[in-house]
Amino acid sequence: MTVLLLDGVSKTRGGGVHATQALRDASLSVASGEVVLLEGASGAGKTTLLAVAAGMLTPDAGRVLLAGRSLVELTPAERRRHRTHVVGFVFQRANLLDQLTSWENVLLMALLAGGPPRDARRATDEVFEQLDIRHLAARRPSELSGGEEQRVGVARALVHRPALVLADEPTGNLDGTAGRIVAEALATCAKARGAGVLVATHDARLEPFATRRIPIVDGHV
Amino acid sequence: MKAVRNRRARAWLAVGGVATSSLLVISLVATLRGAARTVVDYVGQDGADLWITPPGADHFLRLSGVIPAALTDSVRALSGVAGADFIFRAFVAVSARPRGDRFRLTLYGVGYRAPDGLGGPPAFESGQPPHTRREVALDRAAARRLGVTLRDTVFVNGRAARVVGVTAGTNLLTTQFIFADAAAIEALSGFAGRASFILVRLAPGAHADTVAARIRDRFPDVDVFDRATFVANSQRETGVGYTPILAFVDLLGIGAAAVLVALLIHALVEGHRTELAVLLAIGTAPGTLARVMILEATRLIVVGGVLGAALARLLAWVLDRVFPVIPLHFDIGDTVWALALLIVCGILASAIPVARLGRVDPLEAFRP
Repeated sequence: MTVLLLDGVSKTRGGGVHATQALRDASLSVASGEVVLLEGASGAGKTTLLAVAAGMLTPDAGRVLLAGRSLVELTPAERRRHRTHVVGFVFQRANLLDQLTSWENVLLMALLAGGPPRDARRATDEVFEQLDIRHLAARRPSELSGGEEQRVGVARALVHRPALVLADEPTGNLDGTAGRIVAEALATCAKARGAGVLVATHDARLEPFATRRIPIVDGHV
Repeated sequence: MKAVRNRRARAWLAVGGVATSSLLVISLVATLRGAARTVVDYVGQDGADLWITPPGADHFLRLSGVIPAALTDSVRALSGVAGADFIFRAFVAVSARPRGDRFRLTLYGVGYRAPDGLGGPPAFESGQPPHTRREVALDRAAARRLGVTLRDTVFVNGRAARVVGVTAGTNLLTTQFIFADAAAIEALSGFAGRASFILVRLAPGAHADTVAARIRDRFPDVDVFDRATFVANSQRETGVGYTPILAFVDLLGIGAAAVLVALLIHALVEGHRTELAVLLAIGTAPGTLARVMILEATRLIVVGGVLGAALARLLAWVLDRVFPVIPLHFDIGDTVWALALLIVCGILASAIPVARLGRVDPLEAFRP
């Protein structure tokens, strides 16, 4: 089942003399259980494509279908709510909230996605179990290594069982072993949960886990 | 809320700042209340049912003018009057040593028919009323400042007098009362045969308005006020001098607290930009974040405000025992008003940095 469809999407960032065509007639799709690598150099438009796919940016042209809904037809508040329910994010820096423990960081996402708090806590426990990071639950981000932080970030992206996980250079800040562990965790757990994964990267360590690789050059896919 | 809450040290610093402002505001209002309370206690004392005053003098404080002391006997003879005594008030210089002492206080001297005439001290901390022209009863704050106690000698306009009583509820903040026999104060001030006021005690069953009208008919050159009116006028007069200054300083205090809270919320927004961007990216509504920020501001103000109110009480307790010069009287209504004003101003001030949340772009979460 297709969870993300971009069809002829264009997007210009900035204005006036600083305007840049970040996406040009970009089209791609991601299906459930797929891990799709979006490969391109810095400035190729990878992050803009992820932002458009998540409904955080509105395309100038083209259409975006996310989990069956056309984002351009939704209001900003509806897009935000839809995103919360069907998208999980993994950022280049894990971007965990310093004031919260690992477990609370993940629980927060589960709570934002809605549902009773008891279910949110159970879902948090499950994803910690699945990623084998129970020992990190009580620690704060400042007490974690880069790889551990990113595995908690993966847990946060998956806890509410999203249809689509968008990952932006998830292994960019990690060394060889840590990067491989995170890549494997992201790919296997997302697949196990039936989520499609779109990873913006130029890290070859992710290739063994990919279903497809899509190059992006100057905003064109 | 915990996700974007201030770091503990910074939050406590802000709470300390708000508490200081709250302490300032509540204490200043309490000083005004304390001075007003003194006036109410003295002017509203039992037995002084009517106040006869020089023309135009509708309150106890700060007005000149005298009336003949001999009028007192004529008033006593009127129907409906159970008793009448005159008092003479004058500012007097009081020191603990004879002439040449550099430290002296200018006190509010009240001469009355000692020891038990109307217009005497409303309450005693220790000792008794003066019985002779060489005895005085002195306010406790003045006694403390002069370093004298019971049976010590003070010099009133250079003349020696023994302290036989230390009075309470007689501190007007800028000055304090000293009580002596009327003849002594008259002699010191050079106004023999004159009175500042005549206080009238009504006979049982007599009506204040009727007796006041009788006095006005008989003595058209004086004014007459019932106790409640004279108390209210004197209370109003207490605030006239202080209120604008207190209000100004209070506003500065509240303004400082509001700016402090706004600064803290500003630091919260700017210091947590990435976290806020992440929260927005993963689906937190901007309105929710704004509410959290406003709640955080409210939390700081309420904790600081209540702490300041408690500190004000503690300060008053300590001052009363260690250095009872400032009369503080707390009114729960004043405290509630001060806290409400602090909360409203703090929230309004924090709305400015909260509005800056709109500038946080969720895409910032993607920046490495």
